Amino acid sequence: MSTAPILLEAIGVEKRYDKFAALSGVDLKVRANTVHSVIGPNGAGKTTLFHMLTGTKAVSGGRIVFDGHDVTREPDHRRVQRGMARSFQVTSLFLTLPVRENLRLAAQGTAPAQALNCWSAPVGARSRADVVARVLARLGLERHADTPVGNLSHGQQRRLEVGMALAAGPKAIFLDEPTSGMGIDDLDDMKRLIQGLKDEHTVVLIEHNMNIVMDISDTVTVMQQGRVLAEGHPHAIRSDERVRSAYLGNMITGGKA
Amino acid sequence: MNTAMTILRKNFHLLLALAFVLAMPLTMQSGSLASEVLIYGLAAMGCNLLLGHTGLLSFGQGIFFGLGSYTIALTLTRWPLPMPLALALAVVAGAVGAALVGWVAIRQRGTYFVMLTLAFAQMFYFLAYSMPGLTGGDNGLMDIPRPSLAVGGFTLWPLVSPWQYYGFVAVVFLVAFWLLQKVSASVFGRTLLAVRDNEERAGAIGYDLRLLKLQAFVISGAVTGLAGALHAMMTGIAPLASAEYHTSEMILVMTVIGGTGNLLASLLGSAFYLIVGDWLSTLWPRWLLLLGVVLMVISLGMQRGLWGLFESAWNRLRGAKHPAKAQEGTPVGTGDKA
Repeated sequence: MSTAPILLEAIGVEKRYDKFAALSGVDLKVRANTVHSVIGPNGAGKTTLFHMLTGTKAVSGGRIVFDGHDVTREPDHRRVQRGMARSFQVTSLFLTLPVRENLRLAAQGTAPAQALNCWSAPVGARSRADVVARVLARLGLERHADTPVGNLSHGQQRRLEVGMALAAGPKAIFLDEPTSGMGIDDLDDMKRLIQGLKDEHTVVLIEHNMNIVMDISDTVTVMQQGRVLAEGHPHAIRSDERVRSAYLGNMITGGKA
Repeated sequence: MNTAMTILRKNFHLLLALAFVLAMPLTMQSGSLASEVLIYGLAAMGCNLLLGHTGLLSFGQGIFFGLGSYTIALTLTRWPLPMPLALALAVVAGAVGAALVGWVAIRQRGTYFVMLTLAFAQMFYFLAYSMPGLTGGDNGLMDIPRPSLAVGGFTLWPLVSPWQYYGFVAVVFLVAFWLLQKVSASVFGRTLLAVRDNEERAGAIGYDLRLLKLQAFVISGAVTGLAGALHAMMTGIAPLASAEYHTSEMILVMTVIGGTGNLLASLLGSAFYLIVGDWLSTLWPRWLLLLGVVLMVISLGMQRGLWGLFESAWNRLRGAKHPAKAQEGTPVGTGDKA
């Protein structure tokens, strides 16, 4: 196991909707510059856990510590300033705006006070040209920089979804099913993209495609019914009897959930 | 030559507005109607900043308009303040009112946001109605003077005739339009488009949505307050009607008819509403019925409004050599995105 320092820690995180407990006490330790995947069947609470970690929704109990700060009570836009960025399971972009503008807005989000500047146009340093160019190149979307996002293909939109998180230059990137709905051709691109992230970032990944998870993860956490069932190296998870017998079965050997 | 073209292109909308402002005295008989077109144009632009840029459907615009009217009426009739200062006070009143309404309303989204602005509009009307000492109640505030612009007793710009007043309104309008264009093209204006497109993502990439929406409200309220003040000075009264819900509705309708894509479209909406309305009302007293039809046509199939219509026509005229570039102003859903 990696001995890198722990960047993100969740301690007994709970989320209840009325009587239904979506998460009942989840502990998670994510080490810096690793790819940490969270897997489990639909309804296991993976996306809810993501919402808690990134602050999209508030926890009902427990604590979240990120980079040495207790961020439990901070809303999502505050956590971005701490160095978190996320992508969405269902593509969530600014559809009428060009790709370049989407990325510029994402980059600018780390200095949100600038967004209140109602005098200067986003030119010069405010255009964030170098960050945007770097992310465009990484996503392979240079040719589409000025295309409104609504006109991109699904695969391109999924890549931009990851790019939106990248543009903020975060410490940790949370990717919620980045390959959902993608064609086979696009899968390898996405896999390479994610794999390349961990040099500069820490990646927390929700993913159903087991080939990708097993190939690129340093740690895998398996969730079931709002709890952590098992955690460990991909090899250990693949051969873990509890995981196998519980539900992974054929899923872990390659089939899609 | 090249730089001239660049300047032309950069200020294209401002030049169009200038052309519009200059064309009205040449083609219209009534200076009051022309002034009204610019005044409501301002109000509609304020509304457009919320609806077109931020995706907020506000029924509170009448409040800010009414606040501007009452403020200038009170300052000019009771305190011997110079007129430009009184106008500035009206702008501040509109902005403060908008900050208050916005601060509460943006706590909700969609239908409930709209309902909150509507509730404020109703409350403001009854508040104005029940405080005759301040607002003149049912009668409104009357006999608002229209002092000429003067420095040390020397009259710079008399505002006696309707066309003289039009000249003053035109200058104020062009300055306000230039400022609003600046806001629209600024980092702030561009971030508002992101909020309009997708609030969830805008929050997730680090923006404080409430702060952004609040600032949009304040700017919108300031412009609308200015419009209310100019209107009160034009008619000499600040009627209760300007605080009524109907004013909000009228401003919204103008904004939607013009199109929510860019600010100049709102001037088009105001001109259409007032000039065509003025013309139709001489033919048929029930002309508002026809306005309903226009609104239906726009809502059903012409969501970029009159501006969109002219733009498509222009592109077709040029032989579609330059296909319409990606519009920032794609239609805004009214209910769900508000």
